[in-house]
Amino acid sequence: MTPAPHAARRWSIAGIGAVASNASGAGRLFDALCAGRSGLSPLRGFDAGRFRTRHAYEIDDRPAGVDVPGRATQWLCDAVAEAVRDAGIGADLSEIPVLVGTGLRELRSIELRWTDTAEFPSSRWHFGTALRERFGAATTYTVCNACSASLYTLGMGADLLATGAEDTVVVAGVDSITTSMFGLMDRVQVDPVDRVRPFDRDRRGVLMGDGAAAVVLRRGGPATCWLRSVSLNCDAHSATAPDLAGIMAAIEDAQARAAIEPADVDVVLTHGTGTALNDDVEAIALAKVFAGPTRPLVTAIKSMTGHTSGASGLMSVVVAAQILRAGRIPPIAGLTEPTDEARDLRLVTDTTTCPDVALAQVQAFGFGGVNAVAIVEKGDR
Amino acid sequence: MMHVAVVGTGVAARVLTSPGDVLGQPVDPTARFDPATLLGGRGLRYKDRATRLGLLAANRALADAGLLDATGTTVPAASVGVVVSSNLGNLDTVCRTAGAIATGSVTDAAPMDLPNASSNVVASSIAIRFGLRGPNVMVCNGPSSGLDAAFLAASLILACRVPRVVLVGVEPVNDVVEHLADDPAGDLFDGAAAAVLESETSATARGAVPLARLGGYARRTTTDASVDRALGAGPPPGLWFAGRATAAPPAVADVCRKDLEAELGAASGALGVLQVVAGTCWLGAEAGPALATAGDPADGVSSLLLTTAGAAA
Repeated sequence: MTPAPHAARRWSIAGIGAVASNASGAGRLFDALCAGRSGLSPLRGFDAGRFRTRHAYEIDDRPAGVDVPGRATQWLCDAVAEAVRDAGIGADLSEIPVLVGTGLRELRSIELRWTDTAEFPSSRWHFGTALRERFGAATTYTVCNACSASLYTLGMGADLLATGAEDTVVVAGVDSITTSMFGLMDRVQVDPVDRVRPFDRDRRGVLMGDGAAAVVLRRGGPATCWLRSVSLNCDAHSATAPDLAGIMAAIEDAQARAAIEPADVDVVLTHGTGTALNDDVEAIALAKVFAGPTRPLVTAIKSMTGHTSGASGLMSVVVAAQILRAGRIPPIAGLTEPTDEARDLRLVTDTTTCPDVALAQVQAFGFGGVNAVAIVEKGDR
Repeated sequence: MMHVAVVGTGVAARVLTSPGDVLGQPVDPTARFDPATLLGGRGLRYKDRATRLGLLAANRALADAGLLDATGTTVPAASVGVVVSSNLGNLDTVCRTAGAIATGSVTDAAPMDLPNASSNVVASSIAIRFGLRGPNVMVCNGPSSGLDAAFLAASLILACRVPRVVLVGVEPVNDVVEHLADDPAGDLFDGAAAAVLESETSATARGAVPLARLGGYARRTTTDASVDRALGAGPPPGLWFAGRATAAPPAVADVCRKDLEAELGAASGALGVLQVVAGTCWLGAEAGPALATAGDPADGVSSLLLTTAGAAA
């Protein structure tokens, strides 16, 4: 294995796709977010009587409310199909690698096999078999990197272009809510959570959401937007808590790789989960990085999609691509009184028209301290 | 031109006392194999078996590569990445928790299980124990996962993100894994294998010895296409790691075959890394390249070539 002699400075995001609880399709998702439309609902596929928390951001596609295996795989394939259609590269991926970032892979389906004896063979525990059937894809990777998984795979996909190994890659992210993760989050949160309120003084914690996102990444244009860099690191600090030093390092590395200054960033799509720990550490990091007079606008899509776990980073990239194209920034829904740590950030509370927005920073941080930060630039279509 | 080499190996399993055992015959199982006792130190109480096995194999490979001393790592923390392959690692926590809630309520779930409900717990735990701040990646990619993880680890090095990565393949045996196994009557591998991958330039600069070089790799729809692409225009290998049931492509029809799972049990996500460790040991005594193949023709088949380290490009 040997690298190519020269690496590209930027890569085109040539097509986008997404599925979430509040909309299906990248364009409809962006419209829903700008309209302040949330996917929050009372629990649909889970027995509410067994939990303290009674709400989530679920995709409402279960037949008669009965849970079935394989839903994550379906959303993944739908998002990939939309992205390759948008990029105009056709649905034959036999010569194109597909990197899937996920926090919980098909664990929900494995749970259903365990507790309800649903059929779900081991060949479907990762996503390669389904991508082979639907797109003829063979070079497929399921990367399970917690809540930064799909932003991690975006960086790893860009590396395959940078080393000259590939000219085009598909990068995707997907997650469906599992009983085990939803239950354990419910178990450890102080009070039951009724919605995700990033950076708000009265936030209670995180609620999970279903979702998938996909992009086509290419060496040259035309570009919906340009990917300038992705940083990848690990705090090596805590299994569940974020670490300021690790997050600061990830942000600074992403900006250095893109050869930009903090003042160049127009908008930040935060990880913004609504937990006490994440939001405070993330707000402090942003205040430190953007300490100059020119500071970016800051938003958080999880206020309407819930925490889509491993899919969330790439979903923010799909939204960032449309922010840069449309010059409109969706708000942080439900934000009324910012925390002390976030008080000096330019938090977006109403959909904001901003025609000159040219550079976006996207953040995702996961359990185990796995951090990824991407810089994306306005495209040419 | 940059090359990626294996510079250290380690194993952690009841049936393996040293990396060389992977290539030879597994040893008689010891009555009790407790990775936590062998590792020592704090912070292991709530770690699942996959994490404990992975930590021990990583520890041994890092030490073998000359990257650990009494105070910790001998190189900067951000210069070491972690890539782990496992398909079954945390299924016990996931299924046990889902079962407890299904028959009771959320109050029956154990809060200390929260970190283990995330599939990347082995990779992040290795980073935390050894203070490794480079990219940290968990690969759960089915039967080919270990070889794919080796490729993705090498890619982190070739893209100049880090000069070195500790690569681990691990699968635990427990009630959940036995219940969900494809072949309930078959033997299952309970253990971990690890290899430190490093750019040959970085290895040489710090006085480490490259043991084997990573060559061609491909994940394709068929074994034939995968083997052909990984071999490229090079000579046939001297040894082919592949399952007994895999039909040999013409390129390796006359090559000696080694089926590690026949001796160690079904190894799932650990297999590819076991093959890398075995191939590295084999290249210590033999000149010819070694080829490793793993996968599922309904999904994808991966092949990875290992050649003698230090040869001219």
